[in-house]
Amino acid sequence: MILAILALPLLAGVISALAPWRRGVALLGVASLAGVLVLAALIGRASLVGAPSALGGSLGADPLSALMLLVIGAVGLLAALGGVRYLDSQLERGACTSRQASLYAALVQGFIAAMILTVLARNIAVMWVAVEATTVVTTFLVGHRRTRGALEASWKYIIICSVGIALAFLGTMLLYVAASHGHGTASLDWATLVREAPHLNHAVVRLAFSLIVLGYGTKVGLAPLHSWLPDAHSQAPAPVSALMSGVLLSVAFYALLRCRAIAVAALGTDFVRTTLLISGLVTLGVAVTMLLHQSDYKRMLAYSSMEHMGLLCLGAAAGTPLALAAVLLHVVGHGLAKSVLFLTAGEIVEADGTSQIAGVSGLLVRRPALGGLFAVGLAALVGLPPFSLFASELGVVRALSAAGLAWVSALALAALAFVVVGLSAPAARMLLGPATTAPQRAPFSFSVPMGVALGALALLGVVAWPLSSLIHAGAAVAL
Amino acid sequence: MTSSVGGGVASALQLLWILLAGPLALGLMRKVRSRLEGREGASVLQPLRDLRKLSTKQRTRPTDSTWVFAAAPVVLVASTVVAAAFSPLVTLSALLASRVDFVAILFVLLLGSVSLLLGALDTGTAFAGMGASRAAMVGAMVEPALLVAILAMSLGVGTSNLSRLVGVGVTTSALAGPARILALVSFFIAILAETGRLPVDNPATHLELTMIHEAMVLEYAGPDLALVTLGESARLVLLLGLFANLALPWGIASGTGALALVGGLLAVSIKVGLVAVAVSVFEVTTAKIRLFRIPELLAGAFLLGVLSVISAVALR
Amino acid sequence: MSFSYVSLLDLAVVVVMVTAALTLWRQSLAAAVKALAVQGVGLAAVAVILGAHRHDLVLVGVGVLVLAIKAVAVPWLIGRVVAHDHAAREASPLINVPASLVGAGVLTLLAFAATRGVVALVATPAGRLIPFGVAIVLIGFFSMVVRRRAVSQIVGLLTIDNGIALTAFLGTSGVPLVVELGVTLDVLLAVVVLQVLVAHLQRHFNVHDLDQLRDLHD
Repeated sequence: MILAILALPLLAGVISALAPWRRGVALLGVASLAGVLVLAALIGRASLVGAPSALGGSLGADPLSALMLLVIGAVGLLAALGGVRYLDSQLERGACTSRQASLYAALVQGFIAAMILTVLARNIAVMWVAVEATTVVTTFLVGHRRTRGALEASWKYIIICSVGIALAFLGTMLLYVAASHGHGTASLDWATLVREAPHLNHAVVRLAFSLIVLGYGTKVGLAPLHSWLPDAHSQAPAPVSALMSGVLLSVAFYALLRCRAIAVAALGTDFVRTTLLISGLVTLGVAVTMLLHQSDYKRMLAYSSMEHMGLLCLGAAAGTPLALAAVLLHVVGHGLAKSVLFLTAGEIVEADGTSQIAGVSGLLVRRPALGGLFAVGLAALVGLPPFSLFASELGVVRALSAAGLAWVSALALAALAFVVVGLSAPAARMLLGPATTAPQRAPFSFSVPMGVALGALALLGVVAWPLSSLIHAGAAVAL
Repeated sequence: MTSSVGGGVASALQLLWILLAGPLALGLMRKVRSRLEGREGASVLQPLRDLRKLSTKQRTRPTDSTWVFAAAPVVLVASTVVAAAFSPLVTLSALLASRVDFVAILFVLLLGSVSLLLGALDTGTAFAGMGASRAAMVGAMVEPALLVAILAMSLGVGTSNLSRLVGVGVTTSALAGPARILALVSFFIAILAETGRLPVDNPATHLELTMIHEAMVLEYAGPDLALVTLGESARLVLLLGLFANLALPWGIASGTGALALVGGLLAVSIKVGLVAVAVSVFEVTTAKIRLFRIPELLAGAFLLGVLSVISAVALR
Repeated sequence: MSFSYVSLLDLAVVVVMVTAALTLWRQSLAAAVKALAVQGVGLAAVAVILGAHRHDLVLVGVGVLVLAIKAVAVPWLIGRVVAHDHAAREASPLINVPASLVGAGVLTLLAFAATRGVVALVATPAGRLIPFGVAIVLIGFFSMVVRRRAVSQIVGLLTIDNGIALTAFLGTSGVPLVVELGVTLDVLLAVVVLQVLVAHLQRHFNVHDLDQLRDLHD
């Protein structure tokens, strides 16, 4: 099962790369992701009762990994469906050759496989290798449209992320140095490291954790190394933006959570909490400030991702079981909501030919389905009930207060309020206003999956079914 | 008492050796360069013959020059010879070996550079003045690099006594730590700049756009020029010898016995010869860098010195 | 025996350090790529020396791998970009060369200060050289900040990577082979991707200098 979920996208990727282009290749991607989602659900069930593993324990899934697999599967499936539409329209317009279409399909599968490897790897250095692999694989995806802007974005993306992630590797190696000179055997195995952590040298772990926060933080989109994020998200094709914002950021955050667990076991909570609080608050501040001044709705969504990552970081800083459960629920909710929004935004760009907020108006009249999805998605994103982001944001804020950080929760609430204002004004301009063309329907192949995703989000918000036990078990792992 | 007599003998030997080895090393470097460039080249003894010829010629001096101009070559040779006599070239036990400080030796040597510079300014001619100003610029940047390199070496040993600095290499390993290696690299670059070799200055050019050292000594002729050439080449050999003994301290005599002195003499001659050949091979393969990029080169040497100091302090 | 081991190790680390400084020192891109190749040789030598000292054949093998990738393959790939690039000089870095060399000195001091704990923990002849590894990382970082050419940025990135590898070699008793392979593969792929990107930018958009890439901003 563990091997199957990794092999499935790899196999699909190889086939897509080698087979001559036809529409079936894109559909194969959808099928592969559907398979990943099913397998993820199975692994999720299995991880609650045992610890499924493969390759002599070097790959394995605990509830935390399983939850991430589910997010990867769900967002991946949405993005794959969006990918079919993206490639159709690109090929139709002659904006890309069939060779490039094959490459796109293969790279998306490779991207998914790298993320799956990240969450399955038990060895934190292998986890690092997989995170770096996502960077390498996605560079061409970001630049797939081959415009000057897209290439600039992919250049910034790979350079900044590689540097950042290199710092994380330095941190990982320093952890290994500490482990090599602690008690017991030197190991990079996560569970062993957590077990041995109390014997690790504090000064070295402190240095290592600072580097790791800075390093993986780059990939998560935490300040100060966040500048690639709005560029990459706004220039990448919509399905790629959805994948990057919906899961890649969270997968990098997952890596941070794993390292946080080691650091907490070694140092106690104080140092870890301070580091993450600073990081989270600065990110939140930068994101909200930039969000309020956006004229481009894709960049606006990108800064909103940063804002959510900052919030996750604050939740991890609180570090109580409630906080971590809320963080994990938030990862799921943000993944679904943000991917729906990016895909919808991609459709809007496709329809109106601009990503400027000022260039779009009357969306609800002209394209009721698109406009409706965009509106509901935004409502979910800013944390309105009944969507699950309401519950998770509330959970993070409550956990912060309970941890004696009431001032932080006040700041976070203020930031969230600013975001509501900052998002609703441009949204109103885009959705309402004069309509210039007659109403058009969106194809069911687009609106149905998006609707289902938003429905799932609402369901999750109301009853937390079917994920509640997985989320709590995952939070216990990350503690 | 006997040791000071022995030390005196050793110092005298070093003094004579440097005067002979200077022109010979110059000849050797020219020879190697010619061969590498596919020419037969003049004999290794040619610089000695040149010196003899120059010294028999008539002395001419610029009309408006003063005693500063006349004294400069003498000061140059004298300072070099004094420095050579007290340095651990052949033996570690030359006269005053326990008192001779690396910094002191270097500043005695710099006395020669400064006197040459003043002599050039004294002529009042355009080229000499230009050369002097360029030499002053290079010198101002060489000195910090040299001092930092010495500081780094001294930190590792705990003293800046020159004989101890060389001697510590005999008793322990030659490559004692990254600090010493870095310091030696830095020292070597500084030597190349100080003695006007490529890539800082081309000793074989009289092109007014680029020359530094040759411009300074343009007005010297006859016996004065012979002294300048002798002093310059002796200075080169002294610095190369110090570098060679610091980098590869094997073979240097520790006492002042006759046999030890002969052995030390042979060792230092071979080592200086090797370094000189290496320098000329390097000079064939490299081009002179433009004047305004010299600061970059010397900043690099300075950086290496700083790195060396840092590692000397941190890795002690 | 152990004496020559220590001095050989020192020498190899110094080679890596000096080549890192060289990438800041020289403005010619071709020279920077050459320095990078020598750096790869130094790094490979560190791995081989350590492997021979610890009788660890895997580490010696890793050294050979490093030699093949970092001293040969990667410089060759970047060298191809430089060969296409006519004005292959870092003409106007943000900070001039002497100042950036001074900066490198300061960063080295910083690295020594930051890694005191690590050095105290490891307490071996190899461990006392760890600050150099971290210093090289910082110098690579610095050169990426002050250099504006695409190739310089790649060189800076690889310098960072070499610094980390050096730290890992010196501080641990050998990274697991699977990790080492994965990291090396990642680096190689990243360089390939960067090379393709740079070639594309040069060919289709005539972009050599990153200051020309200013389309995306807020």
